[in-house]
Amino acid sequence: MSQVRARVGIVLVSHSARLAEGTADLAGQVSGGTVRVLAAGGTDDGELGTSAEKIGAAVASAETGAGVLVLPDLGSAVLTVRAMLEDLPGARVVLADAPFVEGAVAATVTAVGGADLKAVAQAAEEAWHARKL
Amino acid sequence: MPASSKTITLGGDLHARPAGALAVAAAGFAAAVSVTAGTKSANAKSVLGVMGLGATAGQQVTVAADGPDAAAAVAALIAILADATPVGG
Repeated sequence: MSQVRARVGIVLVSHSARLAEGTADLAGQVSGGTVRVLAAGGTDDGELGTSAEKIGAAVASAETGAGVLVLPDLGSAVLTVRAMLEDLPGARVVLADAPFVEGAVAATVTAVGGADLKAVAQAAEEAWHARKL
Repeated sequence: MPASSKTITLGGDLHARPAGALAVAAAGFAAAVSVTAGTKSANAKSVLGVMGLGATAGQQVTVAADGPDAAAAVAALIAILADATPVGG
């Protein structure tokens, strides 16, 4: 495994800034913190909601050459993400359909391990099947 | 393909951070690696699977690997388990 290879970046899109930031902190700690996990939560004026501008900035910061996985917290965030992606043609971005916390942790750990964008997205989506008990 | 396995008694509970360290380390090996605690078994490369084991202090945990670098994978993961779950940790 090459240590210089770029890692997939992760963007966590939540209606709540605190939820996005807390989840990013958790994913960073569990994974050892060697990939970029960006939080894009809340509206531009700090209310509950989503912001295409915040998401776009997070995607740009998360990209280090291996692509970016975007995880939305609820279905309605998907609309904002899709609108944002239309403004970024050619961006290597995958939108994951996964549980927010579990998907973020699984994706981040898999990205730290050096997996490509497809495998990182798959790890997030496999979180649907992970049992806690 | 060579297979390898080793069992360790956990000094502390297997929490989120050691589970993450285990999964990251396992990803660096070509071998298929499993972690078994009691009746539950998980792919060591799946952090959620490892966390779902709910492995606690005093429990015996077996790391088993199958593949070209199986022995190295088992040694690395056992070392992480020993370091990350110290007695009273």
